[in-house]
Amino acid sequence: MHIRIPRDWELPESAATPEAAAHAHRAGRRGFLRALGAGLAGATVGPLVRAATGGFPSAPHADYPAGDLKVTPEELATSYNNFYEFGTGKGDPVVAANRGWKTEPWTVHLAGEINNPGSWDVNDLIARLGGLEQRVYRHRCVEAWSMVIPWDGFPLARLVALAEPKAGAKFLRFVSFNDPSSAPGQREPVLDWPYVEGLRLDEATHELAFIATGMYGKPIPNQNGAPLRLVVPWKYGFKGIKSIVRIEFTSRQPRSSWQQMAPGEYGFYANVNPTVDHPRWSQASERIIGGGFFSGKQPTLMFNGYERQVASLYEGLDLRRNY
Amino acid sequence: MGGVVESVVRSRAVVAAAVVAPGLWPAWPLFVSGDPTVAADPGKYLLHHLGFTASVVLVVVLLLSPLRAVLPRWRPLQLAQRHRRFVGVSACAYAALHVVMHFIYEGGFGTFRTDWQKPFILVGLVAFAILLVLAATSVDAAVSALGARRWKWLHRLVYVAAALVCYHQISARKVFPEQVLWIFGPLVVLELVRIARAFGARRAAATRDIS
Repeated sequence: MHIRIPRDWELPESAATPEAAAHAHRAGRRGFLRALGAGLAGATVGPLVRAATGGFPSAPHADYPAGDLKVTPEELATSYNNFYEFGTGKGDPVVAANRGWKTEPWTVHLAGEINNPGSWDVNDLIARLGGLEQRVYRHRCVEAWSMVIPWDGFPLARLVALAEPKAGAKFLRFVSFNDPSSAPGQREPVLDWPYVEGLRLDEATHELAFIATGMYGKPIPNQNGAPLRLVVPWKYGFKGIKSIVRIEFTSRQPRSSWQQMAPGEYGFYANVNPTVDHPRWSQASERIIGGGFFSGKQPTLMFNGYERQVASLYEGLDLRRNY
Repeated sequence: MGGVVESVVRSRAVVAAAVVAPGLWPAWPLFVSGDPTVAADPGKYLLHHLGFTASVVLVVVLLLSPLRAVLPRWRPLQLAQRHRRFVGVSACAYAALHVVMHFIYEGGFGTFRTDWQKPFILVGLVAFAILLVLAATSVDAAVSALGARRWKWLHRLVYVAAALVCYHQISARKVFPEQVLWIFGPLVVLELVRIARAFGARRAAATRDIS
């Protein structure tokens, strides 16, 4: 007998996706199959428009609708940013990242313990991986504020499959761009540039792990990490490395930028955990961006509300020590 | 020209306006320009703005003494000394608004249960307690009650408060906030100059005694 246990992000039938959206989703899947077929046939994907605009419109993923989540106004999510490459003020990146910094064309290098190393134009990569889907995720910053963002992108697992990890590959090491002439923050020793992040391979292939090339149904703005960034919604926002240029598959656990900067405050895992405070502030609750003066606070959920999906990744791990 | 500067510095109304203006400033991004980075979290913006203003006003009043040591004959500076009490109490008032805003932002006094475990909040509260004591003893009656000597020693606690505020600002952020350098930097430099001069004067006096 097949007993189907609904996963807790799934909605009741009454809240089913509108037909048009469902069609779009299927179209996206067909696109994926087509691209897969093209790849198998050995054909190269033809040149696309040289901008990180490939794959739109994206197909809303039926498993990750907004549901009860209140989506953050786009204007706030695209102007209240932590992107220290463009300044440490929340309002700095929207200005400084749009003063001529070029995010297209953009090349991503796959390297390390893989059978399929190489360089990919972002648009070619999107086409190769079957186009874009839209997922609405919670976003919890380590500074105790949160947003709800509709991301457009592809599952990281697809990119991992494309890379074909060898047996020795245990971790992914992501590296961001390094261009002090365009990024004023990189002229300051705020962090050890370029920004580096890492995931365990099983985290990277988890179905929630996502690479976003867009948000709110449009190409991702520069200040949010154009043209592609990591989105791991059960972890603090700083794990979501922006403007990735290189993904290395390694046998040893990479050291992330924040870990290097303050190892006592930021760990490799950085899983959202309301019971383990930051040494200097509480993580028990969070401020909802756009929530106004008095009503914008809510309790933080274990793994940012994705506990049932990801808790098994960390069985037997002391989360208090491995923060 | 000098006359204009002097009458401006002398005026209590001008100084009062200069002290109150930064407190009214948030109305601009909140209601007029509609800055989205402020609208994203208006409570936090107000909280930080009030704390920032309190520290700047505190440093301004602390600058008056060492500046006078460096520029003893500059008339506007001499005239500005009369506003020290007003500006000092204003710094305490901004700190009080900052503390009140903290409790509003955190949804009540319940936050105090965990606040005291956070060094940066605890340090801020100690600094505020010092400022409260100094503001309360800033009236003439307190000077005569304590005696000028003891009053002076008590009010030197303001330097402890400034150091605590400096630590409070640095440790509230994920990375070193540059603003700390230009808020507290000039004060530190001027105080070092003042200390070096006092030391030099004492040595000169000692040499005179020997000869």
